[in-house]
Amino acid sequence: MPSIRRVIAKFGNFFRRSRADQDLDREVSAHLTLLEDEFVRRGMSREDARMEARRAYGSVEQAKQLHREERSVLWMEQTIQDSRYAFRSLLKTPGFTAVAVLTLALGIGANVAIFTVVNAVLLRPLPFQHPERLVRIFDDLNGAGVKDTGLSVPEFEDLRDRSGVFENISVLWPVSTALSGGDHTERIEMLGTSFDYFNLLGAQPALGRVYDARDTMPGFTESVVISDGLWKRQFGGDPRILGRRIRVDEDAYTIVGVMPPEFRHPGPTLAGDVELWAAAGFRANPFPSPPQRAVRFLPGAIARLKPGWTIEQARQRLNALSAQLTQMFPKEYPAAVKWSWRIEPVEQNLTGNVRPTLIVLLAAVGFVLLMVAVNMASLLVARSSARMRELAIRQALGASRGRIIRQLLTESVLVSLTGGLCAMLVLWMTKGSLLALMPADLPRITEIHFDARVVVLACLLSVVTGILFGLTPALHGSRTDPNTDLKEGARNASPSLRQNRFRAALVASEIALSVVLLSGAGLLIHSFWNTLRVNPGFDADRLIVARIWVPFPNNPAANKYRNAAALSALNHEILRQVRMLPGVEEAAMGGNRSVPLVNNTVKQVVFSIPDEPNSAEKQRSAEFSSGSPEYFQVLRTPLLRGRFFTEADNLNAKPVAMVNESFAKQYLQGNALGRRVRFFGINWEITGVVADILNDGLDSPPAPRVYSPLYQGPANEMAIFLRGAIDASGLKQAVTRVVQSIDPDLPVYGVRTMREMMGNSLSRRRFSLSLMAVFGAVALFLASIGIYGVMAYAVSQRAQEFSIRMALGANARDILLLALRPGAILTVAGVAVGLAAAQGATHLMTSLLFGVSPADPITLVGVPLTLAVVALLACWIPARRAVRVAPVDALRS
Amino acid sequence: MPSDAKSRIQVLQGTLDLIVLRTLANMGPQHAYGIAARLEQISEDLLKLNQGTLYPALVRLEQQGWIKAKWDTTENGREAKYYAITKSGTKALGEETQRWRQMSGLVEKLLGAS
Repeated sequence: MPSIRRVIAKFGNFFRRSRADQDLDREVSAHLTLLEDEFVRRGMSREDARMEARRAYGSVEQAKQLHREERSVLWMEQTIQDSRYAFRSLLKTPGFTAVAVLTLALGIGANVAIFTVVNAVLLRPLPFQHPERLVRIFDDLNGAGVKDTGLSVPEFEDLRDRSGVFENISVLWPVSTALSGGDHTERIEMLGTSFDYFNLLGAQPALGRVYDARDTMPGFTESVVISDGLWKRQFGGDPRILGRRIRVDEDAYTIVGVMPPEFRHPGPTLAGDVELWAAAGFRANPFPSPPQRAVRFLPGAIARLKPGWTIEQARQRLNALSAQLTQMFPKEYPAAVKWSWRIEPVEQNLTGNVRPTLIVLLAAVGFVLLMVAVNMASLLVARSSARMRELAIRQALGASRGRIIRQLLTESVLVSLTGGLCAMLVLWMTKGSLLALMPADLPRITEIHFDARVVVLACLLSVVTGILFGLTPALHGSRTDPNTDLKEGARNASPSLRQNRFRAALVASEIALSVVLLSGAGLLIHSFWNTLRVNPGFDADRLIVARIWVPFPNNPAANKYRNAAALSALNHEILRQVRMLPGVEEAAMGGNRSVPLVNNTVKQVVFSIPDEPNSAEKQRSAEFSSGSPEYFQVLRTPLLRGRFFTEADNLNAKPVAMVNESFAKQYLQGNALGRRVRFFGINWEITGVVADILNDGLDSPPAPRVYSPLYQGPANEMAIFLRGAIDASGLKQAVTRVVQSIDPDLPVYGVRTMREMMGNSLSRRRFSLSLMAVFGAVALFLASIGIYGVMAYAVSQRAQEFSIRMALGANARDILLLALRPGAILTVAGVAVGLAAAQGATHLMTSLLFGVSPADPITLVGVPLTLAVVALLACWIPARRAVRVAPVDALRS
Repeated sequence: MPSDAKSRIQVLQGTLDLIVLRTLANMGPQHAYGIAARLEQISEDLLKLNQGTLYPALVRLEQQGWIKAKWDTTENGREAKYYAITKSGTKALGEETQRWRQMSGLVEKLLGAS
């Protein structure tokens, strides 16, 4: 009966085993001496007495073993023994060990790296209290096919006061602002929120206080909270920052709190992290007062569900409430528009668009590890063939089959643990540069770091991989028959047919796996190629963009550019001066959302077509932006019909508009010229149609878009487009100097070449593509090594056969074909299975593809062809060797 | 030795522990050889064991805390590891003897009845 006392004693002995062994030796020899004395006393000679004593005692080794088994934990001692033995035998074959550890380190390391990202971005909960209760709410006009139109203030207040499902709710109003009062005037990302925002997230400031419900007022409060980054950059981390007065878009604010460095707003922003938080009631200046139900100018809302409410329950409640409101306000909610609220988890809103990419990468890297394991299994089978004698001897000496399997498994797990350890070390040392490779717009990228879960995964992955690739070879290796394997005639302990077949099957599955990986990589490469060839609707060559933020003060009286004529004068003056910068050949300006490929939170605006029947009820939506007369010429966007804007399209002229081709096709049956569209309560006459610009990304279809002349509509978010032989590096200073010489309160930001912006817009695609390409290359390499190994071995086994055939008159071509045949069969079988599997696997990638279907013929032909060429090359090298052998040598050996 | 194996008694698992404990209680501290010699003597060579097989029993008893080991010298000046029964060993001996008697009585009854 193993009492607790004995278990403790056993473990104690395990750690003191060398001392316990010495003590036992001493006791055994003392015992023998006493026995010997006894026999001498009975009259034997010393010599005889010693022999007799041994006989009476029995087997010394057996007694010691019994003692060991009784006193300690046997399996632990055996594992240590096995590990030591495995270590020695691995050191004896350094080449094998190095290759094994390296490929395993590659496989495990790649998996750990991708998992670290997945863990941080998708798995780890958001760093807020009860993140599962945080949701985003959107307005959809399902009848018009428009999603996320923004909320109106009355709608927001209904959600807050009448829905009954939210503990807190806050408006999200991301906006560009010009910050002055610090080190220099700068464009920063501001987030307008409700007073409950920080309370809702459960966030505490690092310094000072955050605003809360006690600050409630109709307009903006004076108290603002800043980010750690802004505090350090603009205010030098001044500990006496609290109470500091700053000017944001000409309005005076007071800093009351600084957030800790790890705090980040959990949602999409305009350009970069939020650095300034300000609260408003959204019912007074600068907001329309009184608020109107149909004016949805609030970009979005975040809320915390009451405890106990599921998203589904909340969704039902919101649907009931929106149905009720639709009945109450038929004018604001025409039935055909089918207005409703949509609710989704904050997490999904933040990371939903990278989820498919990351999952595909995780699957791909899993395939790579699987290939590494198969490759290792194949190597180990070859190795256990070479070790057949050793294993046979161990079995003859009494090792059971289970014991041998355990020994072999210890060896493979030791190898893979070493590989895993190397991988972790390399990852740890290179983590900085690896992070730099990540696309910068990846959400939660700052939260990526090693944690306990990653380390546990690495260890688990190593052990499982070790068992995975070690088990079958161990089962094979342990099935020896000492009788035949130890015989002198068993030439070089040649492996059985069974083992060769097993290796062949492994290689075929390697080929199949690499077909799957290469197909994935091929599809992504083809997609990327398509995005590069796509016509963006503008010419990026020698085109540079600089952005300006025109402050929009809460107090209308403080707005220097409230008068559209003032803004128009400002634009003319900026254009006049930038044209004089060195290298500038052409210049244009654009208003809100005029820069292609830049993310914008509110994309669509609602409009109507007045000469259409029931026009008011058919709420259409389109993107809206504005440009100076030169805008399309500088961008080189072709005019399809009508005319460009001119200087004459100003405040004194009738409002005109241009539309893109998609707009003309979708809403006006292609006949756009002379028609009118009604936006912002004004009728605009369409005077021109331009080609589509891919504003939302090179891999997104163009949306219908309307342009107004820059001089007919005010804009705060402005962009300067410059074309010419311009040195981009000094341009930011030059443009800033020009703009601030006209008005020192205008911040210049986002100075980039259009090529750079196109590159950035593809960074995520490029990232997943490069990883997939690397995985594919590794797969191809492993498969070719596997094929080569099996073929080289098969050829060396058949050297005699080939020699006899040649001696009997076969020519070199016959032999070559004969030697190639098994490799060709393997390749064809592997490719066939792989293609079938790839059809299933690549369907998961549909959302990552652009302009290709999962059954892309180029990929489907290219991948097998590549593999066939590589495989045949791997077969051809050993096969050629078969032909070169001189028959006499082969027959003699 | 195979020739006379039949006439010898195979010691039941666990029984040896009880015998060793009894021997130590009677004789006082004793080394493994002494215990083995004593067992052979009392059983009149009916119970003859390879002396090495005593060790597992000694390890078990020591780990239970029923006996205690100490290095010492014999009267002939040889060193030997002496085992002595402890207080809890004496107590356990009483309980185990009682159990053994019940058990053997039961087995006797069952065998006699058949």
